[in-house]
Amino acid sequence: MDSASDKDQKWEPKIIAFLCNWCSYAGADLAGVSRFQYPPNIRIIRVPCSGRVSANMILDALKAGADGILVSGCHPGDCHYISGNLYARRRFALLKNLLEFIGIEPERINFSWISASEGEQFAELVREVTTRIKTVGPARHLVKEIG
Amino acid sequence: METLFSQTTEAIRREAKDLLESGKVAAFLGFVKGSLPTVTRPFVARTPEETDKLVWNGLCVMNLANYLPGLLKSLEPPRRPGEPPPEGPLPRVGVIATGCWSRNMVIQIQENQMDRERLVILGVDSHGMIDRRKLEVLAGGREIQSLEETDERVIISGRDFKMETARQEVLRDNCLTCVHPSPVILDKKIGPTVPERRVHEPFARIEEIERMDAGSRWAWFQEEIATCIRCYACRNACPLCYCPTCFVDDSHPQWVGKSIDKTDTATFHILRAYHCAGRCTDCGACESACPMGIKMRLFTRKLQKDCLELFASEPGLDLNSPLPLTTYQPEDPDTFIIAGSKKQGTQGGSEK
Amino acid sequence: MKILKLDNSDLKTLLTRWNETRDLFSPVEGNGKVGWQRIEPLAFNEPAEGVPRASIKVFFFPQPETLLEYSTRSGDRDAYVPRPAMGKGRERIILGVRPCDARSVMLNSLPFANDPYFKVRKDTTLIVGFTCERPCSTCFCSWTGGSPMGTEGMDIAMTKIEGGYLAAVLSEKGKELLGHLHDTKEASPEERKQLEALRKQAQKGTGPAGSPAEILRKKALMDLYNATFWQKLADSCINCGACTFLCPTCYCFDIQDETVKGKGRRIRYWDSCMFPLFTQHASGHNPRGQKIQRVRNRFMHKLKYFPERFGPLSCVGCGRCIRECPVNIDIREVMRDLLSIQ
Repeated sequence: MDSASDKDQKWEPKIIAFLCNWCSYAGADLAGVSRFQYPPNIRIIRVPCSGRVSANMILDALKAGADGILVSGCHPGDCHYISGNLYARRRFALLKNLLEFIGIEPERINFSWISASEGEQFAELVREVTTRIKTVGPARHLVKEIG
Repeated sequence: METLFSQTTEAIRREAKDLLESGKVAAFLGFVKGSLPTVTRPFVARTPEETDKLVWNGLCVMNLANYLPGLLKSLEPPRRPGEPPPEGPLPRVGVIATGCWSRNMVIQIQENQMDRERLVILGVDSHGMIDRRKLEVLAGGREIQSLEETDERVIISGRDFKMETARQEVLRDNCLTCVHPSPVILDKKIGPTVPERRVHEPFARIEEIERMDAGSRWAWFQEEIATCIRCYACRNACPLCYCPTCFVDDSHPQWVGKSIDKTDTATFHILRAYHCAGRCTDCGACESACPMGIKMRLFTRKLQKDCLELFASEPGLDLNSPLPLTTYQPEDPDTFIIAGSKKQGTQGGSEK
Repeated sequence: MKILKLDNSDLKTLLTRWNETRDLFSPVEGNGKVGWQRIEPLAFNEPAEGVPRASIKVFFFPQPETLLEYSTRSGDRDAYVPRPAMGKGRERIILGVRPCDARSVMLNSLPFANDPYFKVRKDTTLIVGFTCERPCSTCFCSWTGGSPMGTEGMDIAMTKIEGGYLAAVLSEKGKELLGHLHDTKEASPEERKQLEALRKQAQKGTGPAGSPAEILRKKALMDLYNATFWQKLADSCINCGACTFLCPTCYCFDIQDETVKGKGRRIRYWDSCMFPLFTQHASGHNPRGQKIQRVRNRFMHKLKYFPERFGPLSCVGCGRCIRECPVNIDIREVMRDLLSIQ
């Protein structure tokens, strides 16, 4: 076995998770205090609302070498700011399709709704997303390399 | 020879002259003949005499809406930051608008970039504009030294060749799939009405790309943007791009690197297109402006297709309908959302 | 100057030999391809009429030039200690360069006179030029001090004639490149005459003869600066960088550090006076905050400031900016406008 594929064998994806302050971040917290196990592949960035997450941030994470993205906010109707997640839903639908259109694997870009009471569901979501991203391997397309 | 274009040119000159002479507008924005046969030059006439130079033809590819917010601002009396505008109406601008340009004006008005009251719009139905890259291909690398255009034909000639083709053959791709050739806001109609077009498979090229596998799509994307020199002509030709500081100029955080690195160029094109999501009218100015012949319109076209399919929305058709990304519906598509079906939305009603 | 007569097979032989020790580059255009690419010796075609869309500056002033490299891993002993990035690399031969592009290298070496990066690129690059038999309508090299038959900046200048080429040998390196052909293929007096005749003929048709640099240098700066026609230009201009990035003699740059995953590099990349960021101060103040100021600067730099400092115009008359400007801003009109100011 050559070293490159050996490296791929040991590879664990890095996933950047943008979680909204009011629901999903609290959901992740609950998963923690309730001792639900989930893969350690996610790096959480807390944002005020899923509506705060712009395409720039997602592209920036991919550029820096993230293998996958998870954005999660409140369920429709539960947004702390009434409708931030509903605006976000439209934007994410377009962004996900655009990235897929230019050849980014759809598995890498994930969106979800998790409430503050859904600790177990959060752990399940991270397991699912990690598995999805593992199936497509390390990100190569939009990663910046120098030298 | 009398053509639709020559008649329209005469009418535009007449109207523009009237507007300037009567003082209804302080400036008139149109086109004049360029120094090369295949391009026209956007032009601001400030005196009635200057309107004699205005032209209208199939080479008017730059979207005039792009100039409006800046031109209107430059006509306001100078004032300090924070100082309120002077009493009374501000100077107005006359402008030519086709279907897509007028839709861009609607969007600029909706996005508070300008006032409808300050515009006098001469509406012209578009017969489709010519793609000079297609002419170059037709000429096979030989230099085009003259161009003649009739209602249906285009004749180009150079040092040792002369060729004639149907206009339809050399129209820009966006004009070939255009379904809204008539202006949606206007003060006076110039020239004949073009019937609403029915285009067979308007998104054929997009669907073709969608059918490819992810690897081939990435290869296509890379090849398409490979020659990009990051001159930002596409961005600057676009009437949607009016941010005082563009994301490419942000330094902290710096979203995009400055050189022609593969990832940076890709990021620029993705984000530029995405910033036009739900706003692009497919005017084709980006593609016409590109010095390298990159077909970046395909990226915004994909977004346009999705807006239509997912939100049944076309931007800029009406001053009173919100742009698709400034509104939402509770029943918006959510099949892409993981675990999204566990708890359905409980709140009804959309924002108006 | 030694003139050789080469036939087509001589050129093929030469290219094959050059390719053994050096990289060959040539303009590649068509099928959606634009620009200069590495080529195989037998794939070389004579350049199409006029200049290729991308200018030759990509070889001497690459986008980007890596100036320094460093590690950003705190564990590394040499973390954050910069080291030079530039290796000398293989010699390159650029084939099919037009006289305007070749001359641009000479013009750019004026501001880059003390630049080590430019110097290395220049020292390791040989230019085999092809003079222009059929200039385009946008060509105006004669008006900027060049000529369609010009040889400035070239090591060898090829001129197509019936049954082959007349090759003018212009430098020691050019002589070396030609090897034994240099001594065996000298052109006959008739052929030399033919070349002279072509040179004379070529003076027509590429704009007025002679550079107006001297006249422009003498005009009062503020008269040119305050001319009214700048407003008309600004009205049309969209402030993109197509003209500056395609221009062979636009050489402005910015420098920035990029760090990615433990590696860092300091790059020098193209900048354009058309962009507001070009002059933006850290305070937020921008001395060229308006479009008219930026448009004016591009032309004033080329036609007034550069001649005042270095002598010639910073323009070689290749016509790229005229052809590719999306709004048809034409530098020839600007030159005429400036010259008409008393």
